[in-house]
Amino acid sequence: MFVLWLVFLLGVLAWVTTRQTASVVLAAKLREMRSDRSAAEAEKSALQRRIREATGLSVLVPRAESLGLRLPDDSEIIILQVPVPDTR
Amino acid sequence: MARLEVRLTVLAAAFAMAFALLLVRAAQVQLAQGAVYARRATRQRTDSVALPAPRGALYDRNGVPLAVTQESFHVGIAPGELLTPDADRSLISRALGIPENQLRRDFRQPWVYYHGTFTSAQVHPLRRIRGVHLLSEFGRFYPDPDLAAALLGRPAADGRPASGIERVFDSLLTGRPGRGVEIRDGRGRVYESPSRRDAFPVAGHDIWLTIDAAVQEIVETVLREAVARYGADGGDVVVLAPHTGEILAAMSLRADGRRTSGVFTSVFEPGSTAKIFAAAALLDLGLVGLSDSVYGEGGRWVLPYRVLEDDHELDFDWMTLEQAIRVSSNIGTVKFASRLEPAERFRFLRAFGFGTPTGVEFPSESRGILKRPENWSGTTATALSIGYEVAVTPLQLALAYAAIANDGVMLRPRLVREIRDAGGSVVYDMRPEPIRRAVSRDVALRLRGMLRSVTAQGGTGATAALSVYEVAGKTGTARVAGPGGYVAGSHIAVFASLFPAEDPQLAMVVKLENPAGTYATLTAAPLTRLMLEQILGAQTGALDRSRLPRRVAPPARVAAPPVRGATRIVVAWPGSGTRPVGGTRVVPEVVGLTLRAALSRVHDAGLRARVDGWGRVTRVDPSSGDSLPPGTIVRLVAQETR
Repeated sequence: MFVLWLVFLLGVLAWVTTRQTASVVLAAKLREMRSDRSAAEAEKSALQRRIREATGLSVLVPRAESLGLRLPDDSEIIILQVPVPDTR
Repeated sequence: MARLEVRLTVLAAAFAMAFALLLVRAAQVQLAQGAVYARRATRQRTDSVALPAPRGALYDRNGVPLAVTQESFHVGIAPGELLTPDADRSLISRALGIPENQLRRDFRQPWVYYHGTFTSAQVHPLRRIRGVHLLSEFGRFYPDPDLAAALLGRPAADGRPASGIERVFDSLLTGRPGRGVEIRDGRGRVYESPSRRDAFPVAGHDIWLTIDAAVQEIVETVLREAVARYGADGGDVVVLAPHTGEILAAMSLRADGRRTSGVFTSVFEPGSTAKIFAAAALLDLGLVGLSDSVYGEGGRWVLPYRVLEDDHELDFDWMTLEQAIRVSSNIGTVKFASRLEPAERFRFLRAFGFGTPTGVEFPSESRGILKRPENWSGTTATALSIGYEVAVTPLQLALAYAAIANDGVMLRPRLVREIRDAGGSVVYDMRPEPIRRAVSRDVALRLRGMLRSVTAQGGTGATAALSVYEVAGKTGTARVAGPGGYVAGSHIAVFASLFPAEDPQLAMVVKLENPAGTYATLTAAPLTRLMLEQILGAQTGALDRSRLPRRVAPPARVAAPPVRGATRIVVAWPGSGTRPVGGTRVVPEVVGLTLRAALSRVHDAGLRARVDGWGRVTRVDPSSGDSLPPGTIVRLVAQETR
């Protein structure tokens, strides 16, 4: 009888410990994933800033001018509208 | 034997007593003080922490992020806890960008703190290093730090927003912090407990502004260059969508590079740009006929209180109201405006929004200055006709011109297009908000006609004219008032414009303070043209290009309606300077060619093209071989070939 009770007690303890360990491992994973996401967002923002800088007028125009290009005047701008399929 | 029994009895009694004491103590600990000990144990193992909520983001009208919230970090290091000091130091140096020599010196201390702040990406490799402690906080990040900086606002020293949109909408942008529990394990490591949260943090609302990042960038770049080129003390530009009141771009710049909110807060006398409002009152009240004219006094008119002069050479002695506006005649405008009663002048200026706040969502907006008629001096009526003794902000002036573009209806200016809560639900969606009708639709149309004449040949705004698309506008060069009267040699050059002239999509005010060249004709007007050219070529939805009517070169031989179901392609005429003027042009053979090739041939022939359809050209009208005046529109009908 005593042995049965002991086994039952040990079983319950093992179950509780396992659950606790699993939750701690999960919490650690969650924290890691959150920090990964945060790092990825930071990287994305940094890249966005670089793209904005690189495509900004203050960078592009001097570069274009150094290649002999210039900003067009309005008569040189051709505006094309993408064809819209007839839905009827 | 008996003594042994006694001893055993005493021992048993002692054990029993000890056990009883133990039981009593256990009962005391468990039953009486159990709750206290349980709380203490929980405190040792767990922490209740505030969970910060990220601040809402700001976007432009197309979803380009202007201000976002990011987690940033301060780094604390306990050098004594580092397991592999040399390798860790090298990694920390690379990640944080701190020279290793400095780290070596710093690590002689028991605790080193680097305030940073460092991004999440920077500290990511350091997370696993024992002895490195990261302190996180949410920080504001501006992908383009200079873009619309004064408009968006920046935080003050205490971290709270001090100005701009950030301040106005602080309560919406600020999220609601939550509370949660952190669990500490036996080694002191901390884990967040997702299941034990008293309150979840709620992020702030995201706000979509009416600003168009592409237009704003153009405005900022061109204004910065112009202030330097003209040696101006500063400048302001505001661009509005006249049919909705949306502010597409706003920029105020000082010569020292400071960006201010002057578009909303600084006032100036609008000078000749206000003449159109005298004309509005005269037309709306029916006080001027089409053929009414006044004498120009040879360009100099001596009045009891002042001498009026016209700066521009006139090739006529008598002028109509339209001519007075076109050449910006002070004398003509004052003479016409003398038909207005003071109350009428005041009513119309007030109707166009002068002297009252516009209601834009920006802190500290100036209401401008417009005196009531009972406070007028003997010169006020004359001065008001030509834009003096009234002070306006650039935004007020742009709104008044936008009303002319909007068939006479004043709209409330808007900086916010949409607000969404943390769940993405739209809680505010901007709708145009009419304030009042300033003038009738017919009068607005006639005023636009006058403004078109200003940019035509001989008008003061001809330097703002584009070669393909028509601009309407009015120049103004006003003297600057100082403490002791008008400052000699100090001027403000303004050009208020509508683009395109027919069915305007943009209302723009460009203002330069003390530019070299003084006159708006030579400064603000060409600057407007430069901005419009760049906006035309920019990737922006601020302009509906399919609705841009081109300046039609007379005579337009073909004005066929578009083929139903097909798409019209608007094709611009190549630079006028590249083609000889005069003579005739022969329509080239283009049937069967691709659109690109056909357009190229038509342009090379010195003609303009309107395309109906898509694919290969099947018909050309007028026919190939016909002779036409240069610049005539040729219709190309195209069909897709299968």
